[in-house]
Amino acid sequence: MDRKPPLESYLPVKPVELLVLAMLSAGDRHGYGIRQDILEHTHGSIELEAGNLYRTIRRLETEGMIDESGRRPAESSDDERRRYYRLTTFGRRILAAELERLRELVRLGEARRLIQPLPT
Amino acid sequence: MTPKRGSPKRALDRASGFVRGERLYRLLLQAYPREFRRRYSDDMLAFYRDRIQTGGSPGLATVVRVWFQLVPDLIATALAERAAPLDRALDPAPRVAREYSFRREDTMSLIAQDLRYSVRSMLRRPGFTAVVLATIALGIGANAAIFTIVNAVLLRPLPFAHQERIVDVAHEDPYYSVSEPEFVDYLRGVKRFSKLAAYNPNTVTVSANGDEPIRTTATRVSRDFFDILGVAPEIGRTIAPDEFSYLSKARPIVISHRLWVQQFGGDPGVVGRTLTVGAAQGTIVGVMPARFVFPDARTTMWTAWRMNPDSLWTRNNHYLRMVGLLRPGETVDGVRAQMRTLDQRWMHDFPETYFPTQPLVAVVTPLRDFMLGTARPYLVALLGAVAFILLIACVNVANLLLVRGEGRRKEFAIRTALGASSSRIVRQMLTESMVIAIIGALLGVILASAGVRALIRLAPSDLPRLDQVGVDGRVVMFTTLITLLTGILFGLAPALRGRSAETVDTLRAGGKTSAIGASRVARRALVVAEVALAVIMLAGAGLLIRSLVKLQATSLGFDPARLLTMEVTLPQRKYSDTTADAFFRQLIDRARHLPGVQTAAAVSALPITGDDSFWSIMIDGHVVKTIAEAPGAKPQFATPGFFAAMGVKITRGREFTDQDRLGAPPVGVVSEGMAKKLWPGVNPIGHTFKMFNETSPWITIVGVAADVGSRGFQQDIPPTMYIPYAQAGTSSYGMQRTLTLLVRTAGNPAAMTQTVRTLIRNADPSAAISKVAAMDEVLGDSIASRRFTTVLLGGFAAIALALAGIGIYGVISYGVSQRTYEIGVRMAMGASAAAVLRLVMREGADLTLIGLALGLAGALIVDRLLQSLLVGVSPGDVVTLGLVSAVLAVVAGVACAVPARRATRVSPTEALRAG
Repeated sequence: MDRKPPLESYLPVKPVELLVLAMLSAGDRHGYGIRQDILEHTHGSIELEAGNLYRTIRRLETEGMIDESGRRPAESSDDERRRYYRLTTFGRRILAAELERLRELVRLGEARRLIQPLPT
Repeated sequence: MTPKRGSPKRALDRASGFVRGERLYRLLLQAYPREFRRRYSDDMLAFYRDRIQTGGSPGLATVVRVWFQLVPDLIATALAERAAPLDRALDPAPRVAREYSFRREDTMSLIAQDLRYSVRSMLRRPGFTAVVLATIALGIGANAAIFTIVNAVLLRPLPFAHQERIVDVAHEDPYYSVSEPEFVDYLRGVKRFSKLAAYNPNTVTVSANGDEPIRTTATRVSRDFFDILGVAPEIGRTIAPDEFSYLSKARPIVISHRLWVQQFGGDPGVVGRTLTVGAAQGTIVGVMPARFVFPDARTTMWTAWRMNPDSLWTRNNHYLRMVGLLRPGETVDGVRAQMRTLDQRWMHDFPETYFPTQPLVAVVTPLRDFMLGTARPYLVALLGAVAFILLIACVNVANLLLVRGEGRRKEFAIRTALGASSSRIVRQMLTESMVIAIIGALLGVILASAGVRALIRLAPSDLPRLDQVGVDGRVVMFTTLITLLTGILFGLAPALRGRSAETVDTLRAGGKTSAIGASRVARRALVVAEVALAVIMLAGAGLLIRSLVKLQATSLGFDPARLLTMEVTLPQRKYSDTTADAFFRQLIDRARHLPGVQTAAAVSALPITGDDSFWSIMIDGHVVKTIAEAPGAKPQFATPGFFAAMGVKITRGREFTDQDRLGAPPVGVVSEGMAKKLWPGVNPIGHTFKMFNETSPWITIVGVAADVGSRGFQQDIPPTMYIPYAQAGTSSYGMQRTLTLLVRTAGNPAAMTQTVRTLIRNADPSAAISKVAAMDEVLGDSIASRRFTTVLLGGFAAIALALAGIGIYGVISYGVSQRTYEIGVRMAMGASAAAVLRLVMREGADLTLIGLALGLAGALIVDRLLQSLLVGVSPGDVVTLGLVSAVLAVVAGVACAVPARRATRVSPTEALRAG
């Protein structure tokens, strides 16, 4: 099964990819939905365009971190069918690994008083 | 079906199935690689729809804002996606996070920032900016000018209703037109027409209530004519159906807008007024709108052709043209087939009318092609030429920007390393190129409007719809579109370089990259190509100019200076042959006695004006079997003293005198050409000829006249026979009532116009005067078309030369900036300014020489295409090519001189330090 290279070789994950993976962890989304989620999560400061987004999706699909979860109608429009994406198991593991890496970095930042430690 | 959100705009979009700009976006998605498109284009379209539709109603502002962010992203990612395989090959560690391409910034401040940056960077190099703007202005201006004309002449729909179903109908040669019985039979037999009408234009004399009569063209039309064309009159009505009946007493006339304005001053009460047309009186019933022109601009009125079906003209008298309206759903091919079936049947039924060797074949042409057909290839070629010029201009500017961009690589590398996204940089560079394109376009439009005015003034008058040339929506859209395309086209190259992936290498190498080799060759090749193109066009223009000059110096066989001409038409019924002859003799005599007049005469047709009558004759008692074998000549009827007045030399014998009157022995004068052809080697004086019939008398030749040029200088001069006007009735087929009066003046002929007019009016107020012109003007008109082409090609050649010059400047300039270090070294080692100058100029000279060589070779080949237009010069004319080479050398010299001078002023210490 493990024809894939070790997990560590995939880190660090590119920021855009990280965001996409993170948003998909909440559930299946179609392209525009991912954009909206990111927009909301970053309080409007990161706005993905079509080209950028779908290139990222392509990369993630190629790497096997996300795949298509079928088509169904989007809530906001009528019976036009959109393609929905979802995290794969592999993608979930990569996401977790990356977040762990980032957590290490955050801890370092807290220790050096670069940022305020969060109350536990 | 889920209920939609309430905005009616949204519902409307949904109903049509498309959101604003979706179709364009779909088209632009082609930029992505096929695999990518296959997988994601549906998603991306859906994404686009959502982008447009969320956030309220998709107004124009939203769409613009979205597109502003969309375009750079599209360009950057499409290119990146296409380069992806290459990237992966080059960079084995793809996991380095480099892209910060999505930081959101306020759109408006982005635009403002980019604009400010662009304007600043343009102002920093005013000379460079001026050159770039001039180049763009030339390219876009030329395109806008030509397109304005093409739009008015070719693209605008004709003013007729259902124009796609209207066809012109006639026959192939030798019948060409349609006879009355054929028309009636077609009307009955061709069911695929829903309507069919016949028409026939005639030149007539028209006068209104004793006003000065004018000569104009009136077209007689049959019943369904106005219905077929489907244009409503501006005032009044068209001819009513019952007025087409043979029994009708009404004589309705429909006049054109132009006639209404010129003759009646635009009087709204013109309906009901009477006009005398030829011998008959008619009543004006309506005025057609200005845009209604049929069959051409010469027709100023339409009258009813009241056909008596029982008394039609003979079947072999072909003179009508037809216009028909196809039934909805019918095709031109279908109708043509139906007509040709009838043609075959008639050929069988009427063998004495139609010969098997001359089949009757119907020709059906869509009206559009019929009215605009001759102009189309010419205009399309022009459009192609200017599009090509714009392309060259764009490449030139791209070149120049690339040259300047090389100097900014360090700047971009730093910006990228600091986190500027590729999209951002692409966007900023595109903004800059858009600003240049827009400003250049505005300048170009100014140039274009002057250009269009000049073109119209020079254009041959047979170019249809020239009076309707003007700027309309389509022209604006076209200009905007090419401006945007231009901006993207020449902005793309430097923008791509700007986002270069060689960031690290660039910084490390201190700004000098090694990847310039290939692009350097490309740039130089481009300049060589531009020079060659300029040479070819200059050579062509030069040849045409020389031809024009030679033409104007051609001996015409007569003296055109100070010669006033006008056509005088006597009312048909009023004059017999005797009184017509007397009228003209008296008129000419009175004209001769006017102060300021040297001499006067009259003739049936002015030379040069293209009258191509050619009559068969018999000579010296020889009888020929058929008319096909008989010799022929162009007939001219002249009053006594004509040859002297016209300045035509009589080489043998005498010219006509007052003794050669009606009843005197029939005499004639032949042209040199006719004498050589029909009486080779002998003196034709005393020989005879006559009209090809039984009754005409034998005419004795009393003189030989020099050949007179006919039909625009260059055609073969036809053999011409001159017969005294007084004897035209007896010696030939009749005395026409229209003669061209010639008045040789001492001073400016135009000054005598009024006096001569008054003379004619006093002699007979019902005589119509038309085509008043000095002979020089007539000559000028005959070469109008050629002059137009020459000026146009000359203009293009000048533009091509300018572009080539700019191209040379760009490349040499870049060369100097790249070799600053080398120059510094040389100067530090003691090289003089002159030596540096030579160094730089040599590079320019090399390019120019190669371009010149290619251009000259190309000119020899391409200018062969102009062969038919050349007079007295060959395509390989040495003088022309020599001049062109000299001009090019001068321009190239100037283009090199500026950067060369800059090179000599390089301070060696600075150059060495910067190196």
